[in-house]
Amino acid sequence: MTNRLKKIFAVVIPASTVLAGGTAWFVTRLPASSFENTGSQGEPSAQLMARGEYVSRLTDCVACHSVPGGAAYTGGLKMVTPMGAIFATNITPDRETGIGAYTLADFDRALRSGVAKDGHRLYPAMPYPSYAKLSDDDVKALYAYFMKGVPAVHLENRKSTIPWPLNMRWPLAFWNVVFAPSDVYRPDTSKDAQWNRGAYLVEGAGHCGACHTPRGLAFNEKGTDRHSAAFVSGALIDGWFAPSLRNDANTGLGRWSEDDVFRFLKTGRNDHAVVFGSMTEAFNNSTQFFSDDDLRAVAHYLKSLPGNAQRDGTPWQYEPTQAKALQPAGRQGIPGAQTYMAKCSFCHGADGRGQWEWVPPLAGAASSLVPDSSSSINVTLNGSGRVVAAGVPDSYRMPSYREQLSDRDIADVLTFVRSSWGNRGASVTAAEVKTLRKKTRPADSGVVVLKIN
Amino acid sequence: MELTINGVQHHIDVEPDTPLLWVLRDDLKMTGTKYGCGLAQCGACTVLINGNAARSCVTPVGELGSAAITTIEAIEQDEIGQRVVAAWIRHQVPQCGYCQSGQVMAATSLLKQTPHPTDDDIRAVMVNLCRCGTYNAISAAIHDLAGDVGQEGAKK
Repeated sequence: MTNRLKKIFAVVIPASTVLAGGTAWFVTRLPASSFENTGSQGEPSAQLMARGEYVSRLTDCVACHSVPGGAAYTGGLKMVTPMGAIFATNITPDRETGIGAYTLADFDRALRSGVAKDGHRLYPAMPYPSYAKLSDDDVKALYAYFMKGVPAVHLENRKSTIPWPLNMRWPLAFWNVVFAPSDVYRPDTSKDAQWNRGAYLVEGAGHCGACHTPRGLAFNEKGTDRHSAAFVSGALIDGWFAPSLRNDANTGLGRWSEDDVFRFLKTGRNDHAVVFGSMTEAFNNSTQFFSDDDLRAVAHYLKSLPGNAQRDGTPWQYEPTQAKALQPAGRQGIPGAQTYMAKCSFCHGADGRGQWEWVPPLAGAASSLVPDSSSSINVTLNGSGRVVAAGVPDSYRMPSYREQLSDRDIADVLTFVRSSWGNRGASVTAAEVKTLRKKTRPADSGVVVLKIN
Repeated sequence: MELTINGVQHHIDVEPDTPLLWVLRDDLKMTGTKYGCGLAQCGACTVLINGNAARSCVTPVGELGSAAITTIEAIEQDEIGQRVVAAWIRHQVPQCGYCQSGQVMAATSLLKQTPHPTDDDIRAVMVNLCRCGTYNAISAAIHDLAGDVGQEGAKK
């Protein structure tokens, strides 16, 4: 070996070793927790438990960590990724299969940093990039509730179907550096307390962005807070288009007042819309349990997020253009018009305006105006899930048309809806309906509403 | 709240999202209007609201206000309704009869708006379901009426 080569090796080998060692240390290290040396928490006070229970409603853990028919928080929900399926885990305080052996610091690291007790990195299907913003007090309360308020259930977690090497978790440490915020919510001192509470709830605990923020190539949310115009600007997830929560006149909350937002999250409905798709679950188990003050804060904050006027164009205005076309003689020449009158108009109205807060309008609805037609198709194929407000099931529900209408029928009626009454969403093709028909299942009327106490 | 049904004002005490069908059948014991599917799919619950066919199972009573509601019980007090019922008897339309109060309401509404409906008009409007398959008899009865009502209209 020449001297020159020896010299190169003398530099490269130690450098590589240091680099590999550093990488290994970095990807396996336990992130810091505010609760490192706090030791046993003892018996939590009733007040702390009550707060923890409330925080669990804000964070809606039950949404993913339960399945219909299963015990609460025992996990099992299947989430499909392009690489394979992953399953939510048992987070009851069972020592072997749940989180019973977790200390407060372990719990904190899983919740806010996405690192389990044994050091493996969680997939960001767990919204720890949002939960990172939770306050120490809320984390402590949530821990008390999960350890003492939730019954322990022994149930093994299901293994993910993602194959090696894609199932290696350590690269997520680098993902976290780039995409996951790691700091608790810092109040914006230029805003009032209500606004800051709203920001904490939307960006943090409520993790609204998990569905409503578009994701990048690495499945990262393209924005995690108010500083990004992509934050809660609308996104396609699991066959539903979660609309913008910003002040977009057509595809967002631009035409909603703060009170409209409040009523929607409190009762599941208002004159603009009724919860459907994945939002039904978020309403049934989470938002309706927010305190009125917290919901007002959410509404106040959301209404402060600017829309994208360039994207949305002219704000929607009602146009009575279809009234004549829908007369018996007129509707026969328009594809979809007859189906609309026979199947849709008795609830949504021949004028497309729905029936007050009980049946949502299709005229001016975000789902009728947004270019992506997934939600229109999905709700027509599969109907809507049951909305249970304050323990009372809804009187009116969208039925499933999967068995009654063909792909062509659905494409025609939705194209009609999306181009009537001033709506200008893109037309729908039979191929799009066919694709979603295969990928989706009818909505279940037996929804799970978690009863706490 | 107050509802005007068949020209009579009724005071009822229900939640505003209660379907009109429940008020008719359960509160007012007017059981001529039938419960079929509860999802606006079959038409057995059809009533007239201000002369237009509406499906009472998906009509919340809260916002009806002073709208004129007509049910099968009073349909023969309406000139066209009376003729529809007569034609239904003439053509022996009903078999089991369960959907027929809704069919009669839908036909009355059609003839009020379109006195001389074509086959296409009838097909477009008469979308109530009938499991006995009385569709041909319904169509024949309406065609019969179209001439009848038309002539009456011409006289006035």
